[in-house]
Amino acid sequence: MAFLIRTIDFTAAGREIIRDRVVEQETLTIGRAAECDIHLPDLAVEQRHVRVELAADGTLAAMALGTLGFGLDGRSVTQGTIDPRTGGEIALGAARLAFAREADGATSITIRQAVADEGKGDALRGFALASALPSKRAMSWVFATAILLLLLAIPVASHLMRTPVKNDPKGETPGQVVLDAAWTSGDLSLKHQSLQDNCESCHVAAFESVQDETCVSCHEETGNHAKMPRLAAGMPPLSPGDALQWQIAQGFGKEGPLGCVSCHAEHEGPVRQKPASEAFCADCHDTLDTRLTDTALGNAHDFGKEHPQFRPAYFASFGAAKPVRASLDTKPVERSGLIFPHDVHMNARGGAARMAVSLSQYGAPLECKDCHALTPDKVGFKEVKMEDSCEGCHSLVSGRTISGFSKLRHGDVQDLAADLSRISSGPRPALAPRRARPGQIGSASPYRADFGRPVRAYIGLSNALSPGGICTECHLPTRSKGQADLMPVNLPDRFLTRSFFDHEAHKKEKCTDCHAADTSKVATDLLIPDLKSCRDCHLGATAVKTKKIVPSECAMCHAYHVPAGQWSPKGNAPHYKPALPPKSGPDKTTVAAIFGRAKP
Amino acid sequence: MAAKASGVAKNRFKQDETRRDSDHVSFLKHRGFRWLWIALALSGTSIAGYMLIDQQPRPNGGTWYGYTLGTIGLGLIIWLSLLGVRKRRINPGAWSLKAWTSAHVYLGLSLVVVGTLHTGFQIGWNVHTLAYVLMLLVIATGVYGVIVYATLPASLSANRKEMTRAQMLDALTAIDRQLESAAQPLSRAEADLVIAALEQDTFHGGALGRLTGSYPRCATARALRSMAQGAAEERVIALLERRRDQLAQIRGALRIRALLEVWLFIHIPLTIALIAALTAHVISVFYYW
Repeated sequence: MAFLIRTIDFTAAGREIIRDRVVEQETLTIGRAAECDIHLPDLAVEQRHVRVELAADGTLAAMALGTLGFGLDGRSVTQGTIDPRTGGEIALGAARLAFAREADGATSITIRQAVADEGKGDALRGFALASALPSKRAMSWVFATAILLLLLAIPVASHLMRTPVKNDPKGETPGQVVLDAAWTSGDLSLKHQSLQDNCESCHVAAFESVQDETCVSCHEETGNHAKMPRLAAGMPPLSPGDALQWQIAQGFGKEGPLGCVSCHAEHEGPVRQKPASEAFCADCHDTLDTRLTDTALGNAHDFGKEHPQFRPAYFASFGAAKPVRASLDTKPVERSGLIFPHDVHMNARGGAARMAVSLSQYGAPLECKDCHALTPDKVGFKEVKMEDSCEGCHSLVSGRTISGFSKLRHGDVQDLAADLSRISSGPRPALAPRRARPGQIGSASPYRADFGRPVRAYIGLSNALSPGGICTECHLPTRSKGQADLMPVNLPDRFLTRSFFDHEAHKKEKCTDCHAADTSKVATDLLIPDLKSCRDCHLGATAVKTKKIVPSECAMCHAYHVPAGQWSPKGNAPHYKPALPPKSGPDKTTVAAIFGRAKP
Repeated sequence: MAAKASGVAKNRFKQDETRRDSDHVSFLKHRGFRWLWIALALSGTSIAGYMLIDQQPRPNGGTWYGYTLGTIGLGLIIWLSLLGVRKRRINPGAWSLKAWTSAHVYLGLSLVVVGTLHTGFQIGWNVHTLAYVLMLLVIATGVYGVIVYATLPASLSANRKEMTRAQMLDALTAIDRQLESAAQPLSRAEADLVIAALEQDTFHGGALGRLTGSYPRCATARALRSMAQGAAEERVIALLERRRDQLAQIRGALRIRALLEVWLFIHIPLTIALIAALTAHVISVFYYW
């Protein structure tokens, strides 16, 4: 068995020197000692370090001769086997001995000096995942810079550098701040959708909470629930947490718990502002009298359990300038100035009914709607006009004309006086037959008019305005400035001025179920139904809904900002209906106004 | 005097014993799960507060309770991120790094509760949710990290088969040297296959290859597939097979190492991104108050 030992060295110039020798032995010793078959002049190698033996099966067995091991195929061992067909490498110090089977069957051992392992430590770094990924620090910088730039610096810069514009209530102005959409904490409510891309329309100044002033710049018509100091005084104390939050927030300029935004929280999704809950109202109104000791309002927290009696507005004295409010419990007497027995008109078998049946415009006994027509908002009723509702029976026809009939004008005593005097302005009939003299234009002449004092008109007017006269069928006679006159008619436009009653929603009921008109004999009866009659069906929000019982939130009849308005789930903005501006004095009712100004 | 000295010595011995015992306790079990209980108490209190406190108009980050949770969350996030600073400072004291790590893990987990309650479950495409999602990702990678630290080191050790990483590389070099001489008789095409195998970077494959252990473009495997049968090729094939096996061991180590380390490559940059997003979140909320 032969070993072909090939030693590869390099000269100083880098030229390769190859020396081959053949050793005809079964075993080889390798070491630093000169007598070794392979002599390695390396201090790291033992004198006799390794012996290699050819085994019977053709493999080579290598074993350390001392205690120091050797490198076999990169692994540190004290003994091992090399199959020369596949090859193997023994490392001893700096020397690398590669074993291989030559074509002639001999085993070759190629010895070369390993290049010093510079950068081996660097190679080990390859095991770390860091060698295959960008550095954590670089990634951190990239992410943090991108976030701070896109989501903070750009919106802030464009907000500070914008040119502020006045808000338009239609919300059609586009926003100027870039990328602030990423700041939104949720969609705006349905009514504010058009402001979605214009954050600065509400968020006007940096680090300043949304101010009431900004809200009111569009919502001018919104009324205050009450004056701010009274609202504050009426509020129940806040919880310690809320109190602390408001204290801090107000320190930074946020408007208090009575500011717009504390109830009208935005960015809660594309929803509508919900009506105030019963609990929301009850927070203050439950025990309001303990905090607002001078309040005229009764406590209320649940319509079925605690709610003050209704206090309708009505005219308590004849010709009063303003209506007053009084509880229905006090049995208010209405002084409208009219004489109108509802029962007579509503009796289906009475004279009024018979009269109506005979008239083409009715054709049936009178019904409520023959005189009372709902306003378009279905809350109140249109003014009852004498000409439309009464005159069909209570005729003011005064004579015949070519085209039909003449009639006395209604509404103004002066008009009446004028109409009456016209009736008497024709030729006065002679009291006794007289002989006409030549040249004298007689009283019977067609060219003669009576330009004298309208004595007959005065008599007629006096008769009409006196008890038993035509006017006093419905009106109360009175005297003003020494002259006969009629009491002005005073009826409020709306009886329940602090709430909202939807007649449309109650159209399945009969009018007389709530308004006791069919038994009312005099016009002084105030026919507004009381609390008890409403409670037949309406109980508080916590009541159990049945076929008859309707659980009723405060918001069913009351609105926060406009007392006479009501929150409604649909309709155009604003979703509450602003109340009509209050009229003052005689303008309160038009009929009364006409009569009030009538000075014969 | 002597009695006193021996008393001190005894006390010292006791102290050292305690310390030595605790040296072998996992950071998860540190001090009888002290930080687990603290984190559970924090989470439980947060949930109870969320349930019991009437937050008007609805629970979210804008109520006083929401601000409280947000402040706790922000403070925790800043403190948790300081683990990176703390672990680089070798200092004695009551706050051992182990205690710190234990608190880091458990308080970090309680952030899921605190942070989620702070959102009031209002999620959207905005900087606020970005911060929340980043926080969840950081926590999720942290949980992954704890799990792999507990399970993978054993398999890393098993994969080594008593070889150091340097020896694995040496073994590959040894094979490569033999391969080079063994390949001398080969034809051009086959020699090119061997050259490709030798020239390919040991750590070829990128992060994805490391994590999946899949190397479809491995030149050694390709050389093995394409090598023709023959007397000269026989030895080359045998060496290539040894090379493939050695590579497999190295790649096994790479895979385990990658699985052990990859979470930090998400955890750390996302933590920094989270702090940036939190800054944007807090400033934007009060900028557009």
